[in-house]
Amino acid sequence: MNLQPKPARGEPMLREQSIVRTFVELTDTLVDDFDVVELLTVLAVRCVDVLDVAAAGLMLVNAEGELQVVASSSETMRLLELFELQAEEGPCTECFVTGGPVVHPRLTESDLRWPRFSPRALDAGFHSVQALPMRLRGQTIGALNLFRAGDGSLTEADMITAQAFADVATIAILQHRAVSEAQAVNDQLNHALNSRVVIEQAKGMVAERDGLDMEQSFRRLRAYARSHNLRLVDVACSVIDGSLGTPSLDAKVTRREA
Amino acid sequence: MNGAGIMLMAGDIPQGSLCTTDKVSAFIEESQFALGEGPCVDAYHLDRPVLEPDLANPSTPRWLAFTGPVLDAGVRAIFGFPLHMGGVRLGALNLYRDEPGGLTDQQHADALGMADIATRAVLVMQSNAPLGHIAVELASGADFEYVVHQASGMVAAQLGVSVGQALIRLRGYAFGNARSLRAVAEDVVARRVRFDGVSGEQDPQP
Repeated sequence: MNLQPKPARGEPMLREQSIVRTFVELTDTLVDDFDVVELLTVLAVRCVDVLDVAAAGLMLVNAEGELQVVASSSETMRLLELFELQAEEGPCTECFVTGGPVVHPRLTESDLRWPRFSPRALDAGFHSVQALPMRLRGQTIGALNLFRAGDGSLTEADMITAQAFADVATIAILQHRAVSEAQAVNDQLNHALNSRVVIEQAKGMVAERDGLDMEQSFRRLRAYARSHNLRLVDVACSVIDGSLGTPSLDAKVTRREA
Repeated sequence: MNGAGIMLMAGDIPQGSLCTTDKVSAFIEESQFALGEGPCVDAYHLDRPVLEPDLANPSTPRWLAFTGPVLDAGVRAIFGFPLHMGGVRLGALNLYRDEPGGLTDQQHADALGMADIATRAVLVMQSNAPLGHIAVELASGADFEYVVHQASGMVAAQLGVSVGQALIRLRGYAFGNARSLRAVAEDVVARRVRFDGVSGEQDPQP
């Protein structure tokens, strides 16, 4: 077994390295807070670097079930228009509907498959297209679209790599959703914890000023909140910052209880 | 490992202990809550594991107030692992041992896995809680040191200062008298200790 690093023999080695580098780059961005569009744009650009394609883009389905372009290897109008068109027909739509890969190795001007999409793609200089599904456990959330300048389909190795890229993109999006949900829950938890602290502090203040125990003090705060239609935590905050004096708290409650 | 505990943090400060396996772990968490420093606090703020394999002879001295009492309690190695998911941070998992020594790679990996499970568990439990409330499953068995906050409110009223300043006074008193913050807080709430020197059995004023 030769453990020496192989000399770079041109393309195959470089390609392998850039694929590995792409995965490292993608997983790196997954770790912390990340922007999904930025990550998917990196992915589209890397597709062009690594695979035998001229342009790449990712389309995701929105809440209304429509496909929308989220990232593209270049921002040229001609390319973006090709994605826009696919709201009605084209490789992405077909891929999304079938949930499987779509290949069209030779687009023609009078294409029966995609009569509107194909001439426009040819105008933009693309002669063949493919789309790979972004799928997880039976759910298709979008498609990776690859455009080639020449005829024919991608090699099997390129197809496998492209599908791996699409899979990473899918995981990135799902991870991002999980983090957003986690953020919402954590904000809620923080709020609950802080509210509890404020209420305990207010209980202590009222107890000290009016010579009550904690239970009596809590009842007084709660009664005031209820009779004034306020949230307990807001009453507690007012007590702590001094804007609500304990005498007024007391007076109201006494009148109510009388 | 001799013991473990999970500490929740919110608003950048320890909020209390979710669970602990033994008395020493409870003491570790209480000390971090009282002093605002320690491996869990650092793990939370730095968002990475904080490892101290030899607390008695640390390579970098840190946690000046925390270290002494915890050593006295028999802790020799201590580790904090953040509870986080992406950029979301919840608190930290604390592990300790009564002998010095680092974690093996396997132990380190296991600790990361446990912190991950704890994070998910907290999020799942809290996601079902009504707005503004801590999930019942989280609150039961947890110790959020409510008595300390009650005492802060009382001391604030006694001295006419903010609750934040009152907490600092409580901490200062506990540290200066080598008592736990909780014990001092309990004395304040039971009206055995006053901070305004009016009519307590003990007078904490210097």
